[in-house]
Amino acid sequence: MKIFLSIIVPLYNEETCIKKLIDKLTAVGEKFDFNYEIILVDDGSTDRTWQLIEQHKQFIPQLRGIKFRRNYGQTCAMVAGFDHANGEVIVTLDGDLQNDPADIPLLLDKMREGYDIVSGWRKYRKDHFSRVLPSRIANGIISRTTGVQLHDYGCSLKAYKADCVRSINAYGEMHRFFPALASMTGARVTEIPVNHYPREFGVSKYGFDRIFKVFSDIFAMNLIIRFSSTPLLGFSLCAVPFILATCFFGCIAVLAELNQWISGKSLFFFFATALNAIAAIHLLGNGVIAELIVGNSDLSHTKMPEITKKEIKVAPHEK
Amino acid sequence: MKNKHANNIRYSIIVLLEEDNDGFADYICSLDKIFSDAEGSYEIIIIANGKEAALRQELPEIRIQGKLKAFSLNKKAPQAVCLSSGFKESCGEIIMVCGSYQQLTHNAIKHLLTFLDKETDIISPWRQNRVDSKFSQLQSKVFNMMTQKIANTDLKDLSCIVKIFRRRVLEETELYGNMYRFLPVIAAKKGFKTKEVPCEHYQERGKQGLYSPTEYFGRIVDIFTLFFHTRFVKKPLRFFSILGSIFIFLGSSALVYAFFQKLFFDYPIGGRPVLLMALLCVVFGIQLASTGLLGEIIAFTHGRARKEYNIDKII
Repeated sequence: MKIFLSIIVPLYNEETCIKKLIDKLTAVGEKFDFNYEIILVDDGSTDRTWQLIEQHKQFIPQLRGIKFRRNYGQTCAMVAGFDHANGEVIVTLDGDLQNDPADIPLLLDKMREGYDIVSGWRKYRKDHFSRVLPSRIANGIISRTTGVQLHDYGCSLKAYKADCVRSINAYGEMHRFFPALASMTGARVTEIPVNHYPREFGVSKYGFDRIFKVFSDIFAMNLIIRFSSTPLLGFSLCAVPFILATCFFGCIAVLAELNQWISGKSLFFFFATALNAIAAIHLLGNGVIAELIVGNSDLSHTKMPEITKKEIKVAPHEK
Repeated sequence: MKNKHANNIRYSIIVLLEEDNDGFADYICSLDKIFSDAEGSYEIIIIANGKEAALRQELPEIRIQGKLKAFSLNKKAPQAVCLSSGFKESCGEIIMVCGSYQQLTHNAIKHLLTFLDKETDIISPWRQNRVDSKFSQLQSKVFNMMTQKIANTDLKDLSCIVKIFRRRVLEETELYGNMYRFLPVIAAKKGFKTKEVPCEHYQERGKQGLYSPTEYFGRIVDIFTLFFHTRFVKKPLRFFSILGSIFIFLGSSALVYAFFQKLFFDYPIGGRPVLLMALLCVVFGIQLASTGLLGEIIAFTHGRARKEYNIDKII
């Protein structure tokens, strides 16, 4: 019994709507002509969420539950879901019924057109300006750096091919940017408008400080994908400007010394040479160490950030 | 984990013998007495850390049948190593770790054990009314304050060696070096339920008063290790990029300032320190950032099996 679809729902103190959620999910699931599973991840809830999951588990065989020791945040909950999912396709959605499970078939239809990731787009979302602005800025930066154009990164309702998410090294607040991260490995990303219901209680936080964190994560991810199999190359490229500067300042320092220019200035050029040389040597040294780390790791290169691939049908030879 | 199910032992008392103690035999016997009153069976495991001679000398005087195991490490090892070698020999569901001499009163230990209900994973004693000298109280207070601030925890007394915890805590927590001290903090970050219980204690023995400078320095490094370990082990670049970007920002703004002066006001900048300082800052920034990248590569290639979340149950 091969499972095709895994639906992952992170839950944090959702005892009020968990029943409705499961009902809606199973109602959608009945229409599927393939096997599916629902993975409910209890993100350290302090209410009866877990007991309710255990209760429902007895009647619904497709249901699976993961319970965290404490609250780790939505990203961790989703990553735990990815780690335990058996399906070829993974769908994530919010536990607070802001997303409509009835949209899942639409995502899957779109995926059949040849996409690896289909993101939901809350087209008719009305939010306060103060929440939209930072998210706009972050979206802008991420679109520029990754080349993925999405209207709505924040929407939890997304469908992924399982291969695409397994290679993502995610933490912190990164679940918003799974499509952007995955696109760096070659995944084809698109979006479709989905239903969105207003949040009944609680506020989602999204501030400027997170932009910095996300930016540093994207930077790291980008470099790792590009250079994890040839780290010395990456570090050497960074070192090139410093090597050039060392040569440049070094020549001037020698000239200044030979022509006996004013001593203050020649000292400056000497120090500038020294500083640039230090930076260059440090970078090259780090590059070599990085090469050692990668070379000694027990991951084979195929396990390195995986570039997503698609099968191209080979037409049979006509004779 | 030997004989884990062979004999249903409830308590394993691991005694780390690291300092000379004349009354060691009496101390072990008194521990034995406490637990013979308690419910459930128990075992006492003594690990001598570089004190084999002392252990051999005291051992004949400890008259406990069947419940005692004694080991000696062939070489003096960090506390975490010592503990984990003791842990490997233990099979109790609840582990209590003790130091070389009696730190807590009998009643205090009994009191602590009553707090270990189903929900609690670790109990850390809080020596609320310290009877030690003012100076060592002050030292301890400063240390604990620093830990509280840096590691963002509300545990008030980490200097006491005695800790009681469930087996699964140590099974799921990697300890190394001098991190045993911080076990309640690390475990609490992993989602284990920690309780700090006020209790009575005896005066500290062994080395007292002013420690050597190396030891103070070591403590500070330990706290920093804890800080890094609990927050950035999976995402080292975040730590380094914050530091690095501060330096790069300072350096590049100083550079812009200097060139601005040169271009528009024709100030000489070649002989002034501002230019060198600016360059130095940029170089520092780049070094930090590249160290962070190195860290990220290590975390990526070697830390994939290590998850950021801890799972309690799967159904």
